[in-house]
Amino acid sequence: MNRTSQPATAPLSRREFLTSAVAIGGGLALSFSLPAQEGGPPRPAGPPAAPRQPSGFLQIAANGAITIITPAVEMGQGGHTGMPMIIMEELGGDWKQLVVKDAAAAPLYNNPLFGQQSTVGSFSVRGWYTELRRIGAAGREMLVAAAAKEWGVSPAECTAANSVITHKPSGRTKTYGSVAAVAATMPIPQNPALKANSEFKVIGTSPARNDVAPKVDGSAKYGIDMVLPGMLVGAIKGAPTVTGTLKSFDDSAARGMKGFHSTVALPNGVIVLANTYWQAKSALDKVKVEFDPGKLGGIDSAKVSALLHAGFDEQGAVVRNEGDADKALAGAARVVEATYEVPYLAHACMEPMNCTVRANGDTAEVWVGTQSPQAVQAAAAQVLGLAKERVTVHMQYLGGGFGRRGESDYATQAAMAAKASGRPVKLVWSREEDIQHDFYRPAAAIRFRGGLDASGKLTAMEARVVTSAAPSFGGPPNAGFYTSSVGDMAYEIPNLKVTGINKDIGVRFGFWRSVNQSHNPFMLEGFLDEVAAATKQDGYQFRRSLLQNPKAKRQLAVLDMLAEKSGWSKRQAGHFYGISAFGAYGSYIGSVVDVSLKDKTIVLNRVVTVIDCGVAVHPANIVAQLEGGMVYGLSAALRGEITLKDGAVQQSNFHNYPVVMMAQMPKTECYIMPSTEAPGGVGEPGTAPIAPSLASAIFAATASRIRSLPLSKHNVTVVAAARV
Amino acid sequence: MIKLNINGKQVDLDVDADTPLLWALRDDAGLTGTKFGCGMGLCGACTVLLDGQVMRSCVLKIGDVGTKAITTIEGLSKDSSHPVQKAWIAENVPQCGYCQSGQILAAVALLKQKPNPTDDDIDAAMTNICRCGTYNRMRAAIHRVAKESAS
Repeated sequence: MNRTSQPATAPLSRREFLTSAVAIGGGLALSFSLPAQEGGPPRPAGPPAAPRQPSGFLQIAANGAITIITPAVEMGQGGHTGMPMIIMEELGGDWKQLVVKDAAAAPLYNNPLFGQQSTVGSFSVRGWYTELRRIGAAGREMLVAAAAKEWGVSPAECTAANSVITHKPSGRTKTYGSVAAVAATMPIPQNPALKANSEFKVIGTSPARNDVAPKVDGSAKYGIDMVLPGMLVGAIKGAPTVTGTLKSFDDSAARGMKGFHSTVALPNGVIVLANTYWQAKSALDKVKVEFDPGKLGGIDSAKVSALLHAGFDEQGAVVRNEGDADKALAGAARVVEATYEVPYLAHACMEPMNCTVRANGDTAEVWVGTQSPQAVQAAAAQVLGLAKERVTVHMQYLGGGFGRRGESDYATQAAMAAKASGRPVKLVWSREEDIQHDFYRPAAAIRFRGGLDASGKLTAMEARVVTSAAPSFGGPPNAGFYTSSVGDMAYEIPNLKVTGINKDIGVRFGFWRSVNQSHNPFMLEGFLDEVAAATKQDGYQFRRSLLQNPKAKRQLAVLDMLAEKSGWSKRQAGHFYGISAFGAYGSYIGSVVDVSLKDKTIVLNRVVTVIDCGVAVHPANIVAQLEGGMVYGLSAALRGEITLKDGAVQQSNFHNYPVVMMAQMPKTECYIMPSTEAPGGVGEPGTAPIAPSLASAIFAATASRIRSLPLSKHNVTVVAAARV
Repeated sequence: MIKLNINGKQVDLDVDADTPLLWALRDDAGLTGTKFGCGMGLCGACTVLLDGQVMRSCVLKIGDVGTKAITTIEGLSKDSSHPVQKAWIAENVPQCGYCQSGQILAAVALLKQKPNPTDDDIDAAMTNICRCGTYNRMRAAIHRVAKESAS
């Protein structure tokens, strides 16, 4: 595309969000930078930096093509469809003329909610919703203004829809493309008028996803598919122990092998480079490598568990303290106590980690599927001794992310290999490397004590939440984060104390789809189920009784809809139900799990999920996220665990880290609460309800209480019901 | 040189006979639609058809392929017009999409053998892993093919 930049036509100031409109190939392009957000990270004073590329977020070409640059990557969660929908809603553009592109690595695309360019935390729609609407609306107003100017009429007499501007009194029309160049010269509206929700034509519909076509014919390009002239392919062997480092290697047996190029030493492993992956892998198998096991050379899962349990008696950080839980528990007529625990988990994205790096002297390029383009950019830049702006990240489709691709370890390694070899390098991890060198979902445990008065009412609760995410999840220690769903529970208990204790165990940990909420609701909801059972109360009605505060109304509504849709009070004989509901990632979610018993096997009949995610941008995709999250959570609940022995991860591939397949997929029903509230997250919340709801149903069916995962440790077998 | 019949074309590849078909396809024949997932024949991301039968190409050495006709996702149709591809589009099946080449080929083989498969047939035949959890839409898409081919 022939790009001609012109100076911005509106005066710039820090508080203005639209910072440039430029003519681009005879069309219009809009960029913006964000005003400081309340509660967001501090921003430097002074004028905003100029956008790093003129394209910004929205381009309209003379031929009518609408290019939307999406700040959310596409990893299967629908970023390439949902983000454009939000702009298109306000723009009034023709969906058939939409072209979607990934954003480059640049601060322009930092998420307004947390100030980083990362597709994580179910933050994309939440963070960008208003900003993208304003970009679309500003574009529409500029296009309308341009058409009105050409006609010599008032913009107020014009409407815009489906990429056509209509002058209502005369019936004249102009296409967006035909006025795009003039629109680029119009003043940028700083407060464009946004539609009322009732006027939405795009938001709330489910257009076909933009990434489906290339994903059914094999043409979709993932990072692993990258090919460059002169490229070497790298296979990697990391230290077998979680803290291992490289001592020495001997590659003499590999040196004569076909295609072999070189061996690159890493601090904690070696990469063998060859012409093709199989040559690299075959040669790597011949390299003798010695590792130092490091400080955790002797750690095992029993030790991890003991460290977590030791945390129960540590002081920690009190994140919630209402009434006087200690005193109320001391004076309670009855105290219910229970300890819950979950193991480390691997992500196991279908596409093993990989990254391609080409160093070009004073610049470099990276081809990768990543959730965090700027992290990859910085990682490569550091290795290659370049300013990060000199590193271009070419975004590829992600073959799964789930938090794993928010890390950039593989980019560092690929850059090291490119630097050492002087050649473009594509590094491809094996599945074994992927499972054994992950950033694991932290192992965690909670000890609960609940105090009941003489009438059986829950008047006090203490929760001591212990996790293995110290020093921290990529920022300052934040007990509010790792106690989420417990510390911020909507349940009203007059005397409530929640304490977070974060243990520095030394096993590499990271974000894993829904992170802390992948286990905290399992524990809290499980404990509440225990209290309900101890006082012979119905699990649904018991939760209802704790949600009577008006502040809890959205969670209560989800709970009620679950009961209604699942037929909670109309269970058929032989069907046992479990329930859970909670807030997560700005949404409220819950599920009812319906099981039967066949001998000692749990038959999973169906999973009913309800979410209140505020405005539902793309309902079909939300259902896909709820089902997908449920499958991810079910895999973990059934058999998911990373165990350690002699400092090493014992699992290595899908035979010993098994996941749900077609035959284990239960029937699902998903319901979205109608809402005009601001959008909440949908990618992560769906992961969380299955474990507590399933455990609750298992208790209903068998009277055995599941307080740790996975279920396979308890010899509980779960099968999906036959479909009829 | 090893001769392979890939997507109806004779291809000569200068690859050792013990190279897995997956890597010969990806790195030597330039057909990257077939994906690497596990290297042990466990996940099915590398699924191709060998004379119409499902084969996990990461554990098949090319020296053992012989003259059998290899079909990869690229060879299924020129324009995504295969009924299974059309059904996958109609049901919006893919999420991350990485496993879908293999899933589609597994469904093609199933439907060739059983044009109107039961859910049990689908459970038995569709043994490829999808971490995004697209299973229910895949199931719906397979039923859609059966229904549309019957009508």
